[in-house]
Amino acid sequence: MADVLDEIAREVQDNKVVIYMKGTPSFPMCGFSAATVQVLREVGVPFKAIDVLAEPEKREAIKRFSNWPTIPQVYVGGKLIGGCDIVREMHARGELAPLLRAAVGG
Amino acid sequence: MTSPEEIRRRIESALPGAEVQVADTTGAGDHFEVRVRAAAFAGKTLIEQHQMIYGVLGTLMPEIHALSLRTAAA
Repeated sequence: MADVLDEIAREVQDNKVVIYMKGTPSFPMCGFSAATVQVLREVGVPFKAIDVLAEPEKREAIKRFSNWPTIPQVYVGGKLIGGCDIVREMHARGELAPLLRAAVGG
Repeated sequence: MTSPEEIRRRIESALPGAEVQVADTTGAGDHFEVRVRAAAFAGKTLIEQHQMIYGVLGTLMPEIHALSLRTAAA
């Protein structure tokens, strides 16, 4: 478990925007993951997607990593910003795009 | 299987005075939509508010397949 947590720590540091999801952006395997990818695409910033179904050791590790019990999880600049509900709500409030663009540009 | 009443009871006892609505979206006791308005959320970010609810639900979470959560400060 410690190795997997280290790998996750590197992934979220090395990539400005990361989503841990079920399935891939092209073939999401869960409605919440699909909806979250759709929001990221609407904002239009590049993001890295990790499929926890393809990397099952990360499925439980990611829940421990941020003490957050659900998937998908979106990380910006190394920090968890939330799952589907929060990402959608931030987008509706107009707060998501500036945050993501600042992270990608910075 | 978790009942909507159990979810509401846990949240109300942890956050006194909170307005809590819980819907079992499939009727199967594992997909829920939860809305919470609470004074305790004041000054907290959305992620902190959701983390408070996840913390309250605690041992119920592994039984819940999908939880849609919406929180607001009262």
